Amino acid sequence: MWKYILRRTLYMFFTVWVITLISFAIIQLPPGDYVTNLMNQMTRVSGVTLTPEYEAQLREQYGLNEPIYVQYFKWMSNIILKGKFGDSFVYRPPRDAVELIAERLPVTFTLSFFSLLLIWVIALPIGIYSAVRQYSVGDYIATFLGFIGLAVPNFLLALICMFITYKYFGQAMIGLFSADIVDAPWSWEKFVDLLQHLWIPVVVIGLGGTAGLIRTMRANLLDELKKPYVETARAKGLSELKLLFKYPVRHAMNPFVSTIGWILPGLVAGEVVVAIVLNLPTSGPVLYDALRNQDQFVAAGFILVLSVLTVIGTFLSDILLAVLDPRIRLE
Amino acid sequence: MDKIVPFSEAGSVKPEQAIGNITTDSHELEVASQWKLIWWKFRRHKVAMAGGLVVLAYYIVALFANFFAPVHFETYQETYVYAPPQQLHFFRDGQFFPHVLGYSFERDPESFKKTWTINEEVVIPVSFFYHGEPYMLWGLIPSDLHLIGTANPEAPFFLLGADKSGRDLFSRIIFSSQISLTVGLVGVTLSLLLGIIIGGISGLIGGPLDNGIQRLIEILISIPTLPLWLALAAIVPLDWTPLQVYLMITVILSLIGWTGLARVVRSKFLSLREEDFILAARLDGVPQGRMIFNHMIPSFLSHIIATVTLAIPGMILGETALSFLGLGLRPPVVSWGVMLQETQKVVVLATYPWLLYPAVAIIVVVLALNFLGDGLRDAADPY
Amino acid sequence: MSEKLIEIKDLKIHFFTDEGVVRAVDGLDLTIEKGKTLCLVGESGCGKSVACRALLQIVRSPGKIVSGEILYNHRLGNGTEEIVDIAKLAPTGRQVRSIRGKEISMIFQEPMTSLSPMYTVGNQIIENIQLHNKMPDKAARELAISLLGQVGIPKPDRLVDEYPFRLSGGMRQRAMIAMALSCNPTLLIADEPTTALDVTTQANILDLMKNLQAKYDMSLLFITHDLGVVAEIADDVAVMYLGKIVEKSDVNTIFNAPKHPYTQALLNSIPKITMKREELDPIKGMVPNPYRRPGGCPFHPRCPKAMPECQTVEPAVTKLGENHFVQCLLYENLPGKPALVAENRELSGVVND
Repeated sequence: MWKYILRRTLYMFFTVWVITLISFAIIQLPPGDYVTNLMNQMTRVSGVTLTPEYEAQLREQYGLNEPIYVQYFKWMSNIILKGKFGDSFVYRPPRDAVELIAERLPVTFTLSFFSLLLIWVIALPIGIYSAVRQYSVGDYIATFLGFIGLAVPNFLLALICMFITYKYFGQAMIGLFSADIVDAPWSWEKFVDLLQHLWIPVVVIGLGGTAGLIRTMRANLLDELKKPYVETARAKGLSELKLLFKYPVRHAMNPFVSTIGWILPGLVAGEVVVAIVLNLPTSGPVLYDALRNQDQFVAAGFILVLSVLTVIGTFLSDILLAVLDPRIRLE
Repeated sequence: MDKIVPFSEAGSVKPEQAIGNITTDSHELEVASQWKLIWWKFRRHKVAMAGGLVVLAYYIVALFANFFAPVHFETYQETYVYAPPQQLHFFRDGQFFPHVLGYSFERDPESFKKTWTINEEVVIPVSFFYHGEPYMLWGLIPSDLHLIGTANPEAPFFLLGADKSGRDLFSRIIFSSQISLTVGLVGVTLSLLLGIIIGGISGLIGGPLDNGIQRLIEILISIPTLPLWLALAAIVPLDWTPLQVYLMITVILSLIGWTGLARVVRSKFLSLREEDFILAARLDGVPQGRMIFNHMIPSFLSHIIATVTLAIPGMILGETALSFLGLGLRPPVVSWGVMLQETQKVVVLATYPWLLYPAVAIIVVVLALNFLGDGLRDAADPY
Repeated sequence: MSEKLIEIKDLKIHFFTDEGVVRAVDGLDLTIEKGKTLCLVGESGCGKSVACRALLQIVRSPGKIVSGEILYNHRLGNGTEEIVDIAKLAPTGRQVRSIRGKEISMIFQEPMTSLSPMYTVGNQIIENIQLHNKMPDKAARELAISLLGQVGIPKPDRLVDEYPFRLSGGMRQRAMIAMALSCNPTLLIADEPTTALDVTTQANILDLMKNLQAKYDMSLLFITHDLGVVAEIADDVAVMYLGKIVEKSDVNTIFNAPKHPYTQALLNSIPKITMKREELDPIKGMVPNPYRRPGGCPFHPRCPKAMPECQTVEPAVTKLGENHFVQCLLYENLPGKPALVAENRELSGVVND
């Protein structure tokens, strides 16, 4: 097993490195850079065009006149050695991107985590039921709901939830806290308010993933139920319920665990859009603004951190798989 | 449901002297071509068939959008901004007389905003297959035949309501299908090309090149798609024409989508390499190129079709999300995502909920495509 | 005279599929005696696996026991016996579950996949022990180790903590046997346990089973299609074709003086080292489509001795001797040999939903 873990770890580092390259490259792609943007804005707003000398000066100030690989190198060394991602060009007074990221990341993380939990709690029992009672009414309903979950884009679900809460509860559950509580110190009320706001994004983000997972679990379990070891267990005299959970479900869980790996990117992505719609203080809106303003370091920083989170998550799920499956553990 | 031959012993492959084959009395079964078998198996999947019909209907409507829509998607009537939907009635006073009811409005004294209500008194007759607004079908054929609408161009006809500029939602939804559905097709074609080429190279050549490509794919997959899309979409300059933007968006979408297809293609090539019939072909002296195109690809073509069908909804949803955020297609181009942009503010949404109708169109077609794709995937292995 | 352990009377198991009803077991009569080995022989598809699963009520859906009796001589704790009709027991009920693994055990064909790779060998054996006995963990583990030793596994105290996928096929089958014997069953059903093993291992396993059977004084119902195995371990042999027993007798009679044309053809088709002929002698024709069973005697289309009556009349069971039964019109109505059990059975045919 240790060889497996070692391999996965090395591989994870390599992946992270490639992601830094990609993140940086993406930000460099748009023609022009922050200074160009600034100039255009100035021209639009005040009609003044600045001299090329001033432009060059600005560039130097922002460090944007150096060759790409130098910029990349500087960027990476700052991150690793100093923990600084680079100043945001937009925020005044200038803040390092890492502050923005650190502000927003916990919420992103919490949302993704709870969504994942929700997905598991819903998908697992439904998937098991669907497989065991194949072709029953319950199975068809579950499958159908699963399809709906796949078809409805999550921002749409967010809109609908917003609409419903607005119409029937008088206030849209936008943001994480109601306007009157947001600045208040932590209390039970504040916590309840948070939960009231939290359920929408968690449900919205989670539902899409639930559908896929139900189908995966159902398919896996159906496969396992046909295998000979199930018959052996039954011939020993185990009750159906006990037998179900000790053997085929346990077996079907393995691929299920490794699916965490590919759910995570989806969760984070979904969270980004939903956050924009629901105006949640997470990475989404900040990233969105940064991209539109070509706020280079902030955008790259967010993409980097989000991707790394995902990679770590995948890595953890791989480890979990090794722990659960003796065949991998002992190879 | 699996065809079970109930008492065949699992795994018992010892050759016996007295064994024979189960006879089939259906001679057809023995000589049916692969495609026929796939069709038969597909036909048993009622839901998939229904999905296929729905998808077909959508594409027909998209093809003849000008005919199906009462007015052009840009046509607006300022007076009827945010008018609510008019219900289509077929009978009046016991007689067959298709019509919609007109509007009356009250003006709010403080904000000067109009609120519309349906007025029973105003009756607007509805015609079918009538000659209305002229258009050029596909830019080539002049016509003015419309499926449904009012003969009088001044009269309001908003089956699904009007938007903030007084444009007919129903017509705009129909025209949107042209864009949203073709983005799916074009994007998927690009993905397919990329996927087949890269997956093919990976699977056929194998070895370190294969490993390298696989690692690259895994890395790409672990980057959350939407931030990636957002970043790429933000690159598109503001001054590009709508057509250029459209192409750029499809390219972006397909750049992410090819990985799934590449993996399928690669695994198929990998397993095929070991198949006996390929070995036989090679021993026969079949050249490499012909082997790939005449022998290998046909054997998994059905899988490819199924995978592609299942990839289209992803593209449609992706374009919708991007346009919704304002990073995808831009007005005057209309797509369902663009139409949904207006619903971002909850107050607007709550007051004019019919603005959500484009979502229904999306959900239905995505569901249908998923059912269709599922059915194709099940049928793809007729043996 | 041996006592009966299980008496199967006119057992019928039908499979209700979309394409029609398949009569997998169609009127099976069989007696399993205490302490003896009965081999159930037949080609693939004759219904032998289905029949033996009925003894534990683990017939797979869409199969159902539609009629017949499986009378099991169940020995109670106080020394008396009662007769339980297993065919009437609920498949998920407590009663049949108390019989499974404890009084009647079963081992299966594929040792590779019949044991779960997620749990150790010891875990799976102990599970069987503790399912039917109140035994503390330590004692159960000791018992498991001792059982593994009895089935010929070296270093059983180490192997008890191993995972099945680390063992060879032969070892896995031995572990399965150990598991099946853990509660001292009166009957062990073995569904082709050696088919998936190589010849040498097969011989070892057969030896092992013979020894264990004598040691535990239990009955052994051995399913196989391999006549060589039958010759090796059987006391009695029952030959099955298309869901019915066509002939049953002791092993010597079956091999040296078979009466049913099918049995004779089977024995004929085995190539013998002393044969002078160059060609094999298979049974002519093919096993019929299960959805279109022939009328009358199921074997008649392929029978070299078929008579016109065979197409329409189903033969009843004829007793040819103390331990010799056959179902063939050749032997019915012979003077001095009365037919057994002859209710009017309807002609077989396909029943479509």
